Amino acid sequence: MAGDRQAPPGPRANVKMVIDGQPHEFPAGLTILEACQRVGIVVPFFCWHPGLSAPAVCRQCLVEIKGFPKPIPSCYTPVADKMEISTNSPKVLDVRRQMLEFTLLNHPIDCPICDKAGECMLQKHYFDWDARFARNDGSKVRKAKVVDLGRHIVLDQERCILCTRCIRVCNEVARQADLVMAFRGDRQLLTVAPGRRLDNPYSLNTVDVCPVGALTAKDFRFSMRAWELWATPSVCPGCATGCNIEIHSARDVIRRLIPRPNPAVNKYWMCDEGRLTYRRVHQDRLVAPMVAGAPASWDAALGEAARLLASARDKSPSTLGVVLSTQMTNEDLFAFTRLAAEHLRTERVYLAGAPEGWCDDILVSADKNPNTTGAKLIGGLTLRTATDLKQDLETGVLTALLLVGEADAVGSLGSLQSLVVLTSHQGAPVAAAQVALPLAMWAEVDGSFTNRQGKVQRLHAAITPAGQARPGWAIAARLGQALGAAWRYANAKQVFSEACEKIMLMSGADWGKPEIPVQLRFANSRG
Amino acid sequence: MDERAPSPTARCVVLGFGDAANLPEADELPTESMPLNMGPSHPAMHGTVRMVLEVEGEKIRSVDVQIGYLHRCFEKEAEYATWTQIFPYTDRLNYVSPMLNNVGYALAVEKLLDIDGKIPERAQFIRVIVGEISRITDHLTCLAASAMELAAFTVYFYLMKAREWLWELLEELSGARLTHSYVRIGGVVADLTDDFCPKLRDILRRCRATIVDVDKMLTSNRIFRDRMDGIGIITRDDAIGWGLTGPVGRSAGLAYDVRKDHPYLVYDRFDFDVPVGSQGDNFDRYAVRLEEMRQSMRILEQAMDRLPAGPVLLDDARVALPPKREVYNTIESMIAHFKLIMDGIVVPPGEIYSFTEGGNGELGFYIVSDGTGRPYKCRVRPPCFANTAVLNKLLPGLFIADVVPTFGMMNMIGGECDR
Repeated sequence: MAGDRQAPPGPRANVKMVIDGQPHEFPAGLTILEACQRVGIVVPFFCWHPGLSAPAVCRQCLVEIKGFPKPIPSCYTPVADKMEISTNSPKVLDVRRQMLEFTLLNHPIDCPICDKAGECMLQKHYFDWDARFARNDGSKVRKAKVVDLGRHIVLDQERCILCTRCIRVCNEVARQADLVMAFRGDRQLLTVAPGRRLDNPYSLNTVDVCPVGALTAKDFRFSMRAWELWATPSVCPGCATGCNIEIHSARDVIRRLIPRPNPAVNKYWMCDEGRLTYRRVHQDRLVAPMVAGAPASWDAALGEAARLLASARDKSPSTLGVVLSTQMTNEDLFAFTRLAAEHLRTERVYLAGAPEGWCDDILVSADKNPNTTGAKLIGGLTLRTATDLKQDLETGVLTALLLVGEADAVGSLGSLQSLVVLTSHQGAPVAAAQVALPLAMWAEVDGSFTNRQGKVQRLHAAITPAGQARPGWAIAARLGQALGAAWRYANAKQVFSEACEKIMLMSGADWGKPEIPVQLRFANSRG
Repeated sequence: MDERAPSPTARCVVLGFGDAANLPEADELPTESMPLNMGPSHPAMHGTVRMVLEVEGEKIRSVDVQIGYLHRCFEKEAEYATWTQIFPYTDRLNYVSPMLNNVGYALAVEKLLDIDGKIPERAQFIRVIVGEISRITDHLTCLAASAMELAAFTVYFYLMKAREWLWELLEELSGARLTHSYVRIGGVVADLTDDFCPKLRDILRRCRATIVDVDKMLTSNRIFRDRMDGIGIITRDDAIGWGLTGPVGRSAGLAYDVRKDHPYLVYDRFDFDVPVGSQGDNFDRYAVRLEEMRQSMRILEQAMDRLPAGPVLLDDARVALPPKREVYNTIESMIAHFKLIMDGIVVPPGEIYSFTEGGNGELGFYIVSDGTGRPYKCRVRPPCFANTAVLNKLLPGLFIADVVPTFGMMNMIGGECDR
């Protein structure tokens, strides 16, 4: 991906240098800013971003280098042997303050109505490095407050501090030159390139990288104050890439998804489509167990489901099918595979999922299911395909079906004598089922997905399940008990550990430490 | 810690029959021990404490003081509030002298912020003034309630009236009669009202008269003295051993006053005495409190005389909210305001124990910061926790009726003790 500045291969000498009076040694090729970050010295910046090129336009990261007449931008200057750098001399602090004063000169007094307030780099840097009263009382240069840039983005040109991060995201990540700067001086402004709109598939990354509230997402703006949100680490369920994300939620409502840096998977980015997958968590949910179309208690519904499945199994296991989905977590897949093999005694286990879609060579995968790899690892070679399922339904081989998870176009369900459905959403399968059980979704459970690279990545529950929905592995265990199983699971970790023991290709996977959600207000203004 | 001579008001005359030991032994009455619950609803328990007494006849064999009825998770709540948001919680510690808690907490945070030497002088004087007013209201409440519980209802009204004058003045200043939240990290929230000092002088004049009246009504009152003299004696060694401070410790001859021994704010500039008792009984605790109010008035008058002009809040946008006019009209102050309200003051990582002279003794705050806008830990050393603990030792051997004045003179304040 463009924007990764990796050191050229081959051995390179280390450089020895002094920062703030302390001797340090770094590999050659680092910039001064990166070197400072490695040793925990804070140098503020606006325009620099670890995933983008460095144009050194904001001049906020200036440091003093001995022998240089003027302060030098640290984000742009490579480290060199015998360099002596000062990041906290009176002159550097003064320059830093002056740059902030300059940046704030025409900045509107918008904090109370600004979406970025609370996670704004300008607020953070002012408070950390300036914290002085204004010296100017002249009027500010006015610019357009609401500029519709594209499908997802609105721009406030007054708030823009002209760092060009968004331009570089378009150029280097999405590889479409949609944004440009126009005019000069205090009239300089960000705008779309002539004849274009900001409609590339990665446009919402511009909102993340915007250090201030100039670029706002139509999906999120004015819906929630950022500092009230709780951040929970998770994985995007939109496709097989498995971009690492943070779920930002408050009071059991997800407000947005933002990418979580992972150099091995998604770097710092994710696609617009993936960001909007959270909407489905709050739409058309199945919230209570249903028996014959009417809400029922869990006990009654599980009893009825077990009765239907047991009678089909006892009649003829070869006419009983189990459909699993590539949208399910590894834990759910493992528990249901075990249920099918040990207690339903059927070999007709099918794997269904969402149909293929568009893809690119950046992040988006054609496989729109987050856990295809995991399902194939856990289900093994005997899994039948969605095509087999369609065929078996049409030819009438199947008379009873346990349909788990979400799957589009499984085929006609009308010919079945009994149908038990576990799903998170209302729809045709629920309408056709004798028993429908509500399934918790990816944002509501602890679990794991295995992405297209074979990386097993953790999901953390960000919100409580809708209505009476339960995690799939828990329902599998209850169904298993109703069918006479002795096994039970207390939590997802237990299922995961067992899966890692039994599935050879998962043996190296690690459940990881528990993650406590943090409220952004107390995340110390991540900026 | 230097010893001081007992104040002239401490123990002048001894009236009455003498101490309980000379009375016919309760043990001789044909009786067997039984448990007796006092509180938490018993009016003399001030609604917040329960004592399980084991009595034989009227005599107390053993006692189990059970606190916690007013536990409000102050320390845990504080971990979820910004440093500034904790002020209203401190109001509710010792709720008869909220200003002293405000000041004690602010000093602790300021010490950790290393701005304790930069607080404007006027703010320090104002803190002394409101603090000493609160000390007077604290002692007035203690004496009023105890006098009433010993049937001196008139005294109760005299003292409550005086307390009300002072609280009305503080209400004028802060907007709230009791829960002032007037102090801020870096100073106080607003300057004194224009006529604050003349009003305070007038109130002090009237308070003095009230205290003279009360002194006349109680100090030589046979009934009062019989209930107070020689009851609940604490020795100086016990006072040290049990960690007793404030009027309770001083009544036992322990001349420890944080204002004198570890001066803070501008207390070292004032001329005042620390009264100590000679017997360590209930009467000494009464007498010490009475004299301390007079000394607080001395401090107040000196502070008003020397009150310097100047700002009342530190001029630092990282600590104190900028003036509203700046906030609404410049982005710089708007950001500072926003960060202070939403993220809180950034207190450097570290820990500190800071202590002041509260109404009941050494009020300590042990705070730990992890560098975020809220405390990692905010522990309070409530003076009346120790004072209440000593009841387990004091009460056995006394009569049931002695519980009331002995407990009253400890001035256990549930909000502070239980936190």
